[in-house]
Amino acid sequence: MTKRTTHFGYQEVPVEEKAARVADVFHSVASRYDLMNDLMSLGIHRLWKRLTLERAGVRRGQSVLDIAGGTGDLTLKFSRLVGPSGRVVLADINASMLNVGRDKLLDHGVGGNVEYVQANAECLPFADNTFDCITIAFGLRNVTDKDAALASMARVLKPGGRLLVLEFSKPPHQLLSKVYDEYSFRLLPKMGELVANDADSYRYLAESIRMHPDQETLKGMMERAGLERVEYTNLTGGIVALHRGIKL
Amino acid sequence: MALTPVLLLACAEKTFNSLLARDPAAPGRLRRLAGKRLLLRLERPSLALLVTFHTQGLGLLHAPQAEETDADAVVEADCEALGSLLAGESLEQLMFSGRLSLRGQTHLLEATRELLMDLDLDWEAALAEWFGDVPAHSLAEGLRRFARFGLRSQHELRADLSEYVFEEARLLPGQAQREVLRDHLTELEVATDRLEARLARLQRKLDARRREPMT
Repeated sequence: MTKRTTHFGYQEVPVEEKAARVADVFHSVASRYDLMNDLMSLGIHRLWKRLTLERAGVRRGQSVLDIAGGTGDLTLKFSRLVGPSGRVVLADINASMLNVGRDKLLDHGVGGNVEYVQANAECLPFADNTFDCITIAFGLRNVTDKDAALASMARVLKPGGRLLVLEFSKPPHQLLSKVYDEYSFRLLPKMGELVANDADSYRYLAESIRMHPDQETLKGMMERAGLERVEYTNLTGGIVALHRGIKL
Repeated sequence: MALTPVLLLACAEKTFNSLLARDPAAPGRLRRLAGKRLLLRLERPSLALLVTFHTQGLGLLHAPQAEETDADAVVEADCEALGSLLAGESLEQLMFSGRLSLRGQTHLLEATRELLMDLDLDWEAALAEWFGDVPAHSLAEGLRRFARFGLRSQHELRADLSEYVFEEARLLPGQAQREVLRDHLTELEVATDRLEARLARLQRKLDARRREPMT
């Protein structure tokens, strides 16, 4: 009998190995994750996240789940928006990233309304209809079974709740696509080697972006997971796309 | 294009927070405001902005679908009224003239204005972070001296120029001469009006005489 495989960047690996391999990548980059994000995107990732925050429409007293929240950029802003009567859960499968995020949030004086949960997006450990809003920023492409993860997110969303997926995507413009390829496969691993002393992790980043579903495919996946009124916005020429769906 | 307004708001937020971090009075004011939120609805350009306060600064968020219940105070105004408010015009005057409407905790807007407009920036501390205490103090002292010199020179130049133009070269009339001339012109205007009235009366008399039948 042949083993079920999935992609890890451009490699095919057994399904049960992918999570551990992704975990290794993020253990390796956790301490310099924010710095590398700033360098790689020239700081634009902060604008992509701000737009996610705007589109989330989170209000005072609501509960928010920030999956693959990593170093807590979105959680920090959400915790201020929901206020002391609200609740934000920062979830990540990777303990190193979660530790960096928790330290960073504590340094910013955030504590009372934030919880930290080490969890796999494919089987979220929360009751049905728990959250008003769920975000997953630059995390879905690392999940082994994306359909299961989207279904799990739809399950824990309250009716009327929003799921926002911020993820690298496919630039529709040919020329931009070529420039972006050159940047991703030549410059990015070199930057990773110089700053984080880890070229392989950043090579994986570029490969995993190419293997991630494009805008329309992801929209279809979200609809199949039970979300409605799914729409997406291309950002920075489609290098990144913000998808939003509502559970009705 | 979706990112341009986001970029502008991010820049504004960063600027405000950098300035607040340099104001020794800001932490106390921010502590009192922490957790509050102000919804600002501008009419022209149409913009809904949610201002949230926390102990380290403020957050600006474009929130077109924000509900009034989600804010402690709601301000509706146009850009001109907002400019006047920030320039120091009385809040009551703007409200009574109908240029600005405010609902909820009214003191929140006053406190926000105080926070942003009464900034007393400690530039010397900012310079000290880059150059060290002693060089920063010398540099700041030099800058202060230069600013005082500039101000004094500006006053002196204005006084000298005015003396030359009005007194020495007599290129333009001075204040006193202008007032005398204005009095004369007013007198002339009144006399002309009187003359015009007399002429009109004479004209009416002449017309009446012409219409009378010859006896």
